[in-house]
Amino acid sequence: MVRNASVTRKPIQVEIFPQKVLMPDTAEQLLNGIDKVPGVIRILIQGLSLPRQVTWGPGTGTPVNHPDRRIINVAGQAFELNIRVGRIQVEIEDRSVKDKIRKVAEDNLPFPFEFREGFFIRRKATLVDYAKYGFKSKEDESINLDDERLLGLVDPKANPKDRICMLESEDE
Amino acid sequence: MAYKPQYYPGSTSVAENRRNHMSNNVQKVREISDEDLTACLGHRAPGSDYPSTHPPLAEMGEPDCPIRQIVTPTPGTAAGDRVRYVQWADSMYNAPAVPYWRSYHAAINHRGVDPGTLSGRQVVEARERDMEAVAKEQMETDMTCPGLAGLRGATVHGHSCRLQEDGVMFDMIDRRRLEGDVIIQDKDQVGVPLDRKVNLGKPMTTAEANKKTTFYRVGNVAYRDDPEAIEWLQKVWELRTIYGYQPK
Repeated sequence: MVRNASVTRKPIQVEIFPQKVLMPDTAEQLLNGIDKVPGVIRILIQGLSLPRQVTWGPGTGTPVNHPDRRIINVAGQAFELNIRVGRIQVEIEDRSVKDKIRKVAEDNLPFPFEFREGFFIRRKATLVDYAKYGFKSKEDESINLDDERLLGLVDPKANPKDRICMLESEDE
Repeated sequence: MAYKPQYYPGSTSVAENRRNHMSNNVQKVREISDEDLTACLGHRAPGSDYPSTHPPLAEMGEPDCPIRQIVTPTPGTAAGDRVRYVQWADSMYNAPAVPYWRSYHAAINHRGVDPGTLSGRQVVEARERDMEAVAKEQMETDMTCPGLAGLRGATVHGHSCRLQEDGVMFDMIDRRRLEGDVIIQDKDQVGVPLDRKVNLGKPMTTAEANKKTTFYRVGNVAYRDDPEAIEWLQKVWELRTIYGYQPK
């Protein structure tokens, strides 16, 4: 992944929407494949939640122990996959990377998928972001974040811990 | 000549399946023991007596009532069972039963049941042993594919989600899963672990589910593929509209 937010060419975003929700092995392969493509800035995965415990009804509080809520490795970085991956959004440096992402999806998904370009992950700070992170200083009114690529990756009201993973890649 | 009800219009496989569910013309395709069923429902310990909410009707000395003389109580009512529920979620990806058709099946073919139909789930409330009779019949017949439907008392999420890679409907609290080529359930309706693994049988293949489904769905049998069903829908709509319009 590119560590530098100041990408000279205009980045675009693409989305992979598989026909079925992915098992952890397939998700791991796909994410590793995407990570290897040069020019990937950030990846967002969305999907159905796999909770640690039952959150509703008479069984509330019972541990779920879902076998698919497990650690996966992407680019040598381990993190707990706590969703069933159903949607992958990727921000890439420019349009030339798009076909490479599609090729990775074709190679790793054993069933059809939708592939589209659009605007999925926001780049600018919103009012809620400012409320959460604040300004850098009295003089500098930009958002108080070291890396602005974090914007839009998690809900501003959610705890980003365990939800964002910084990957180190060979191209840096 | 005895009256034979005509349940649902249409000439497609979906219409035929809907008629089959309503008329209870369903095939038994798997065996679920009473103890396994009780465990999956989670209302009482398998093998234990049915708890009661009142003494058996025969011991209660009922008032002299012509209706009570006409209507034979159901076994659960006669024994004074508690009212308990069974709730299903059926995948929109061509599960054999639509929530409404589970309700029709229960209401037409069983007495003393109170079916409730929602967009993604279907619940039947009844005296415990009557409810178990409905649940067992629906579980053991081709009204249910264990991969595309599930007993879900709470957290029914999954009926409208895409299927998993293995073709099974998503269940966030992992009550049942594909193990080998069969579906295994090891939690009750509400996600409390069981002391056993209940074998629910093989899930249907995609082709079989497409053939057995009561869902009209573009990509399989669309509602517009069935002109007779549409004609009757429009007729019912028109008559209801005309009947409802009563200028005074």
